[in-house]
Amino acid sequence: MDILSAFLTSIQSVWLDSGFASFTLGNFIMILVGLLLLYMAIGKEFEPLLLTPIAFGCIMANFPCTGFLEEPGVMQVIHYGIQYEIFPPLIFLGVGAMTDFGPLIANPNTLFLGAAAQFGVFISLAGAMALGFTAQEASAIGIIGGADGPTAIYMASKMAPNLLGAIAVAAYSYMSLVPLIQPPIMKLMTSKEERSIKMEQLRNVTKFERLVFPISSAIIISLLLPPVAALISMLMLGNLFRESGVTDRLSDTSQNALCNIVTIFLATGTGMTMSAEHFLTVQTIEIILLGLLAFAGGTAAGVLLGKVMCRLSGGKINPLIGSAGVSAVPMAARVSQMVGQKANPSNFLLMHAMGPNVAGVIGTAVAAGTMMAMLGAK
Amino acid sequence: METQNPIVIMLINMTIVFAVLFVLSLYIRLIHKIDPTAKAAAAPKAAPKAAPAPKTAAPAPVVEKGIADETVAAIAAALATMGVGFSRVKAIRVADRPAWGGVARHEGLTTLKMR
Repeated sequence: MDILSAFLTSIQSVWLDSGFASFTLGNFIMILVGLLLLYMAIGKEFEPLLLTPIAFGCIMANFPCTGFLEEPGVMQVIHYGIQYEIFPPLIFLGVGAMTDFGPLIANPNTLFLGAAAQFGVFISLAGAMALGFTAQEASAIGIIGGADGPTAIYMASKMAPNLLGAIAVAAYSYMSLVPLIQPPIMKLMTSKEERSIKMEQLRNVTKFERLVFPISSAIIISLLLPPVAALISMLMLGNLFRESGVTDRLSDTSQNALCNIVTIFLATGTGMTMSAEHFLTVQTIEIILLGLLAFAGGTAAGVLLGKVMCRLSGGKINPLIGSAGVSAVPMAARVSQMVGQKANPSNFLLMHAMGPNVAGVIGTAVAAGTMMAMLGAK
Repeated sequence: METQNPIVIMLINMTIVFAVLFVLSLYIRLIHKIDPTAKAAAAPKAAPKAAPAPKTAAPAPVVEKGIADETVAAIAAALATMGVGFSRVKAIRVADRPAWGGVARHEGLTTLKMR
């Protein structure tokens, strides 16, 4: 009988120490959310490189009794990388190495489209404040409209760490849904004639311009907005690796190996902020709705300024490139190309849309820096 | 930060974003203006335009004695088929080669296997 009793006690102890004993309905719901995100990533191929680790991180975050974030270990290191804004600047290094600023340098007017698309950020900020969020939280929620995951995480870590999970998930989810969200808004705001406009070929950009732009932009923007110096400097350093022609190995590492490694950590860590107790709140639903408002507002404002520029240029600018100002490189530019080509099969807007697209990255970073300087980081 | 009015925050931030990007667009134009390599890059393109071909009649090719007019016409037709103007031909003459060498060359070309 003693043996049986000891056996039962051991079984009971194992059960009580297991995750099953502490498993809640919230954990179950969040694991279902993780599975849904996995389905979207693998089954529907919506940004699979980002959504797969986010989804799996979400599932892991809802294993009870793991002590992932309480005890030193790899999970805590990943969490620190997000909490102390280490990963977003490293991602920007890779983004810079992958970015061709040529279309932006060839047509600097596209910077205004990148600025106009930030309108969604500020609409959402106003909406969030109306719903009772603090100004700092509202600014972090608004940046979802910039459609720039690393900047959203950077901003949320500084301004509203308590909302980091919801903001990151909303930002990456909407980025992956760009091909679904943007086209109806773009079609609604433009006529078929406007969508069919063919744009002239861009001028050649010299190597001198390609070299001077990242160096001087890093200096000017970092001096102007120190809170985003890490993001902008790393973006421009990556671009300098690409354009210098003498650092091919560094450029290759930045845009491939390093970027992939940091993406795994950043996305998994983001998913791990989606524990049931932090995520299943009314605030999360509000943030997701405000994110959609920000995204739609940014797209609409970009197209609207595109229409104005179309009029001012005598019909030489296709307003569809304005929607690419919401960042989401290069997905938003591809959407401009796709919608333009549907209206006119011989239309090639991709390179023209890359101008506002990369301007949007700079614009979102500038908007983040402005809000951090104005509202004060926590 | 004193104001908590969302509209004021929105307007101030939007203005700053536009101002910064406007300065950046001016700066890009400045880089383009002071680019010392721009002229060097543009020069090779300008050169062909600066020296257009004179529209005077090209001199007729020198045709060696003994070559029939029909042969000259056949050569001109063959060149035209390949998109080469007859004005580019400077002379037509019989190749100074031994017959055996010509046969060997012909044999070599016809039996050549492309790999």
